Amino acid sequence: MRIVTLLMALLLTATPFAGWAEDEPGESDFLTRVRRLTFEGRRAGEGYFSPDGSRLVFQSERQPGNPFFQIYLLDMDTGESRLVSPGTGKTTCAFIHPVAGDILFGSTHHDPESEAYQKAELEARAEGREKRYGWDYDPEMDIWVAAADGSGYRRLTDARGYDAEGSYSPDGDWIVFSSLRDAYDRELSEAEKKLLEVNPAYFGEIYVMRADGTEQRRLTDAPGYDGGPFFTADGSKIVWRRFDEEGLIADVWIMNADGSEPRQVTDFGAMSWAPYEHPSGEYIFFASNKLGFENFEVFIVDFEGTKEPVRVTYTDGFDGLPVPSPDGRRLAWTSTRHRGEGGQLYLGEWNHQAALAALERAPARLGSEASDSPE
Amino acid sequence: MNRAVQTSVICAICALTTAVAPLAANSPLRSHVSFLASDELEGRLTGSAGERIAADYLAGELEKLGAQPLPGSDGFKLPFEFTAGTSDGGTTLGLTSADLDKEWSGTDSVQALSFSENASVTGGVVFAGYGMVVPESQDFGYDSYATLDVEDKIVLVLRYFPEEMDQESRSTLARYSGLRYKALQARERGAKALLVVSGPRSPNAGETVAMTFDTAVAGSGIVAASVGGAVADQLFEFVADQTLDQAQASLDDGNPHVTGFEIPGVELTLDVKVERERRTGHNVVGVLPGGDSASADKPYVVLGAHFDHLGRGKNGNSLARREEAGGVHYGADDNASGAAAALMAAGRLAGMERKRDVVVAFWSGEELGLLGVNAFLDGAESETALDADNTVGYVNLDMVGRMKDNKLTIQAAGSSSVWPRLIEQSNVPVGFDIQAMDDPYLPTDSTAFNGISVPSLNLFTGSHEDYHRPSDTADKINYDDLERIARFSALITYKLANLETAPEFVKVAPRTDRGGNRDTVRAFTGTIPDYSTEVEGLRLSGVIEGGPAAEGGLQEGDVIVEFAGQTIANIYDYTYALDAVKIGEPVHVVFQRDGERMEVTITPRARK
Repeated sequence: MRIVTLLMALLLTATPFAGWAEDEPGESDFLTRVRRLTFEGRRAGEGYFSPDGSRLVFQSERQPGNPFFQIYLLDMDTGESRLVSPGTGKTTCAFIHPVAGDILFGSTHHDPESEAYQKAELEARAEGREKRYGWDYDPEMDIWVAAADGSGYRRLTDARGYDAEGSYSPDGDWIVFSSLRDAYDRELSEAEKKLLEVNPAYFGEIYVMRADGTEQRRLTDAPGYDGGPFFTADGSKIVWRRFDEEGLIADVWIMNADGSEPRQVTDFGAMSWAPYEHPSGEYIFFASNKLGFENFEVFIVDFEGTKEPVRVTYTDGFDGLPVPSPDGRRLAWTSTRHRGEGGQLYLGEWNHQAALAALERAPARLGSEASDSPE
Repeated sequence: MNRAVQTSVICAICALTTAVAPLAANSPLRSHVSFLASDELEGRLTGSAGERIAADYLAGELEKLGAQPLPGSDGFKLPFEFTAGTSDGGTTLGLTSADLDKEWSGTDSVQALSFSENASVTGGVVFAGYGMVVPESQDFGYDSYATLDVEDKIVLVLRYFPEEMDQESRSTLARYSGLRYKALQARERGAKALLVVSGPRSPNAGETVAMTFDTAVAGSGIVAASVGGAVADQLFEFVADQTLDQAQASLDDGNPHVTGFEIPGVELTLDVKVERERRTGHNVVGVLPGGDSASADKPYVVLGAHFDHLGRGKNGNSLARREEAGGVHYGADDNASGAAAALMAAGRLAGMERKRDVVVAFWSGEELGLLGVNAFLDGAESETALDADNTVGYVNLDMVGRMKDNKLTIQAAGSSSVWPRLIEQSNVPVGFDIQAMDDPYLPTDSTAFNGISVPSLNLFTGSHEDYHRPSDTADKINYDDLERIARFSALITYKLANLETAPEFVKVAPRTDRGGNRDTVRAFTGTIPDYSTEVEGLRLSGVIEGGPAAEGGLQEGDVIVEFAGQTIANIYDYTYALDAVKIGEPVHVVFQRDGERMEVTITPRARK
C-alpha cells in the first residue's frame, strides 16, 4: 500500500462533481480505450507490470474469508489470474522481479494473530462498524518474496515496524522499500511517542537492500513519511514521495540510487504522491488532490520538475497510483470511476507523443506560492 | 485440474483471444448480418416466411460447425406454436329495456378485448367507476367495488385511472389500472362480463380499445369488451341524475367513495367473438459436442441470441416514423448482430476440448414477448429440457452491433457470484470499457433463464435512434467491434464450460417500484433511454424526431434528473414518473447538458 490512511478514507467516500463543463483539454488527449481491468472482489489496485508487459501483479480483496488485500498475478494474454500471496493476513505492494519473475510483497501472514484480525474485521463489517479502510501500518508487516506460482515463500525483512512498499531495481539486484523501523529501533522522546500513536507514518523512511534481503541501508533522514519508492528505468535514481511533518502535504522527490542529491520535483502544496517514471525517462506520473481535497487526479511532470505539471485524468472520483507499461504505451491506474465500494484497476492506451507535446507547452513551474495552492 | 490439463486450457484461451485478422469485407459476420437483415427475409417476423428462411440459414451454419441436434430432437429447428394476433370476429352488444331495444355492432361501437373469452352473456349493468382495486398491502385504500354487488352482472368501467390526483397517487393507481387487472377484479367478484369505456375526460376519449397483440395466450376467464362513447352515453340515459362525463368528473379527484351504481331498467346481451390466429415459430438449437460431461456436475452451458424481428412493424412495437411505417424492419442490430456473433463464437468453440457441452440457441418470438425461449424452456419441443439441474449458465447477445467508444454493457451480472471473475478474465485480452450491471430482469431472452434459476448474462452495446425502425440496417453495424464481442463471448462461454464446479445462482430481488407495464404506460414522450450508463439520472441516447421530447428541445446526451416534479435517479424512476403524467398537459423537465443544469417543458401525447 503506497498510500496513506487519511486520504484513502476520503477517496472511498468521494462524492463526484456534477460533471465537468470544460471542453478543452481532456482525458482523451492522453488516454484512449480506457477500460476497467478488474471486476472480481470489493476492491483492487496497485498494478505493476512484468518487464515484457505480459503480466501484471496487483492487490485485491477477493480471497473468501479475508477482508484484506492479497496479491494476484494476472496474465494479460489469457486474462487468467492466480493468488501469489499466502491468502491469510494483510498484504500490499507487490512487484515482479525483472529477471527471475519472483513476486515481492509486504505481508503479515507470519503473525499468529492474522486470522483473528480477519475475523474481527469481518465481524465489524457485519455489524456495520467497518473502519473505512483502515491502513494501520501493522508493525508485523514484512517484505516477503515468492515464486510466481505462489510457492517457496522467503522472508526478506524481520525488523520490528512496518516494512513494505518494495520494488526491484531494473537489474533485479536491489530492492528499495519504505520502513517505519526508525520508531522501534531506538529510544523515542515523549513527543515522538505521542507521534507514533497518532501518525506512525511520520517515522517512514526509504531503505534499500539486496534482493536476498542483505545489506539493508537507510537512504532518507527527514521528518515526515517517506514512502512509495521506485527505481527509474535506467536504475540510476529513485523517485518517491515525501510528506511534511503533519502528514497533509506531500511532494514527489528524486534522488540518486545511493541516496545522494535528493531534490523536490513537485510543489503543488497539496497531496502529490505515487510517483512512477515513464520508461522514456522524460517525465514522471503522479497523483495529486490539487484540484480538490477529495478529487485525486493523475498528472505528469517533466523529469527535472522545471515545468508546471500537466493534468492527465479528468474523471470524477479517485484516480491515482499510475503505472506505465514497460513499453510506455499503456497506463494502469486505480480508480473509483465505476462508483463502486472501492477502487479497481483501469487500463488505457497512453499517448506518449501527446504527453511530450503537452509538457513542452506547459509553463514554467509556479511553485506553491501560486494562487491555486489550498490554504 | 492437473498441471498438464491446465496448460492445454491456457493454450485454448490463447487461440480464443486471437483476432480474426484482417477484417475484410468478406468477414463472416458481415455476410451473416447482411443475409439476415436482407429484403428477402422481410424483417424475420416470428412465424413468417422470412423467419423460416433465417432459421434454415442458422441451422445450416450450425451443421457446418459440426453441431448436433439436442438429444431427443430430430433436427436443429424446433417449432413452437403461438398466438400471432387477435381480431374481432363480429362482437355484438344488445340492449333491452321497457321502451328501447337496440343492438350495436362494428368495432367503433363494441370491440372484444383481446384476452376475452368467446361467449354470449346476458345480465343487468353496474357502473363501477374505474373498476380498480389497490391491494391492501399498498396501504392506499382504493376499491371501486367496496359497496357494490356485481354478482352475475355486466360491469361497466372507465379505462385508465383518475385523472386529477396528485402525482404520487397517480403513480400508485397507474399500476393497478391495466385492463387485464380490471378484468380479474370483475371476475373475482362474480361478474358475468366487463365493459370498458374510454371516458370523455381521458386520453383517446370515446374510442374503443385497440386489440393489441396480447402475448399472454391464456384467456382471462371472463367475457370482456370495450364500447364506444356513444354506447356508454346511451346507457347513461337510464341514469336519472348524471351523465358519464359527470360521473367521471366526480371520480377524477380520486375519491373512490363516489360509489358505483346499478343502471336501472336495462339488460344487456354481450356476445364476444375473438379470433385468435395460431402460428408456428422456430427456435434453432444445436449442441457443440466436445464436453467431457462425465466430469461435470452440470453438462451444459448455453450461448444464445434471438434472430426474429418485427417484420414490417405491424404488431405494435415498431417505432417507425410515419413516412417509413410499413417498411421492412431489417433488425440488423436487433438482433442479426447477436445471432452473427453467437455463430462466430460457436465456430471458435467448436472442436475445443471442454468440460461441458456448449448449446448454441437462436431464439424466435423474442420481439413478441420471449415466446421462443419460454416455449423451449417449458420443454415441449425436445426430450432434453434445459434447466437449473443441467445448465451451468447462459450467455445472451442482444443488440451488440452498434458499439460506440469501446463501451459494452453487461447486464444481469448479479445473477451469480462467478460473473465478476469471468467478466474480468474474458475482458483482459479483449479490452472493452465494460459497465457491469446487476439487474437480471431485462426485456430479453436471458430473463427466461434467470426465471429458472440459471445464472445468466446479457451483452448489449446500447440503444440508438434506429431502434425498432426500418433504418436498423446492416451497413450501420460496427463489424470490427462485433468481432471482438464474438471473441469475448467465446472466451466467457469457454471459461464457464470449464469451471470445476457449477457456480451458484443468486436471486436478485425484483424491484417493486417498477411501473409502466405496457398496458398502463399511456404517455408518449419520444425519448430513447441510454441503458448503458450509470449516471445519476436518465441519459438519453437519442430522441424520436418530431416527438414531444425533440419538440421540447431535448437531445442526445442530455441527462434527465427531474420529470414532472419527481426526482429521476434511474430508468425505473422515469417509467414510474411517466405512468403518472397527464396526456396533453405540459410537464417540467430538468436535465443536465454538458454539466449544466437546464430546464424545458414538454407535452406528452397519448400512446395509442
